[in-house]
Amino acid sequence: MSVGIDLTDVRQWPKMFWGFIVCLLLAWIVLQYDNYVVGDLHRGYREASKVLKDVKEGKPIKTYEEYVNEKKEAYKKALQKYEAGLEKKKPSKPFILKKNDYEYIVQNKDIPGKFVFGERMHQFQFTYVAVLLLGGMLIRNTIGVPKFLQPGTVAARPFIKPGIIILGAYYMWSDVLRVGLIGLILVVIFVMGTAIAISIWGRKAKADDGLMGLMSAGVGICGVSAAVAVAPVVNAKPRDFFYAIGTILLFGTVALFTFPYIGKFLDMPQPVYGAWVGTAILNTAQLVAAATWYGHEALLTANVVNIVRIGFIPIVVLWCIYYYVVRPARQAGEAGASVNTIQVIKEKFPVFILGFFAMVTLNEIGVFAGEIKDLLGRDIVKIFMAIGFAGVGLNIAFEDLRKAGGTAFVIGIVAATVKAVLAALFVMAIGPGPFTIKQ
Amino acid sequence: MQQEKKSAELEERARETFSVERREDYAVLVIATIVVLLVLLGIIDKKIISALYVLKY
Repeated sequence: MSVGIDLTDVRQWPKMFWGFIVCLLLAWIVLQYDNYVVGDLHRGYREASKVLKDVKEGKPIKTYEEYVNEKKEAYKKALQKYEAGLEKKKPSKPFILKKNDYEYIVQNKDIPGKFVFGERMHQFQFTYVAVLLLGGMLIRNTIGVPKFLQPGTVAARPFIKPGIIILGAYYMWSDVLRVGLIGLILVVIFVMGTAIAISIWGRKAKADDGLMGLMSAGVGICGVSAAVAVAPVVNAKPRDFFYAIGTILLFGTVALFTFPYIGKFLDMPQPVYGAWVGTAILNTAQLVAAATWYGHEALLTANVVNIVRIGFIPIVVLWCIYYYVVRPARQAGEAGASVNTIQVIKEKFPVFILGFFAMVTLNEIGVFAGEIKDLLGRDIVKIFMAIGFAGVGLNIAFEDLRKAGGTAFVIGIVAATVKAVLAALFVMAIGPGPFTIKQ
Repeated sequence: MQQEKKSAELEERARETFSVERREDYAVLVIATIVVLLVLLGIIDKKIISALYVLKY
């Protein structure tokens, strides 16, 4: 949450109202696109391809009525098998082409353009995530977002968090513990490793302590939130603060838009990709967006790794207090320099993740069965994410990214890139098995 | 004495910075709880979600 905007402060609600409404509208419009183009038209392309294949293979051409009846009969039989317990998975309703589309395919031996468009959008992963982020960024940096709308767009960003909590309806504790344990190893090696490496590198390079403290926390663990938390602890100068925030945002933005395509290029299975972005991307919103962009399975894995990662914020803050405040004070012979560990953990622990654990527990005891699980874990999560992503996109301002510079830029970008490359190699070597969340 | 004062000052500033995020976390917990309850009570169901999508094949 940006400094000055407090979602819980009722007095600030009027100034957030219009911006928030814009995000809601934007999310709703883009979800229409996602549901119709990336959902229906993509499924239409698959169905149209099957019909076209039959036509091209010279199989007897069915009338439209025969085609519909055949689809309905097949579904009925599959449903009977499921109800008799012969099939474990409930069959999904068949996609039936409309009469004009069916006849177009049969007569022209071609797939209608709208289905091809849907397929291409699906192929290029141009889902609601991409449209909201790219569209929002485009709006922000071309026509701009009027000042009176800005507080509301900032307030929309945390709506990703209820999505993260509700997604818990999909997990069993065995999955959370298995993926969480490997996530813990990833976090300790890569996240804590980066934080410590930057601190030591900065000292050796005789860089400013305030700046390096910010970069250590920001690049290591949690982007802007950690940098904001650590800034007063390490006594960072305002200029350093903006350099660090600019660098973190720049890396996060580039990662957000490139990682899904790098993942596809490297042919990463969804769980592996989820573990990778969970480790390599610095900020929860950007990480969740990059994972959702790739697919639902990727999101399920990334969510667990992210929860482990943000659980480490207090540990990184403790490290910074120790390295930049307590240690120098002790070296200078000042007695009594200490850190109140319990207090720091209590203050910095991201409590919303407790909601996620509660959801996993409820799922474990069977509260969320069948349709409810899908309703919560897919449909409702998607709505919350869309609102949040609308806020994220509208807040990617090039002027903020241009603030990246100085030593922070070099150290931040090098460290974050090295972390991302090593993490990619590591998770690819492990493979999808340990990262897979059973659905 | 001066060191203690400085530490207290820094702790206070860090606490202020994080109190907004803490309140935000509580708010999202409340929002998530309400939504889950509405789903469990059947007030939000597939039909309602489906009605949100006006553009359909």
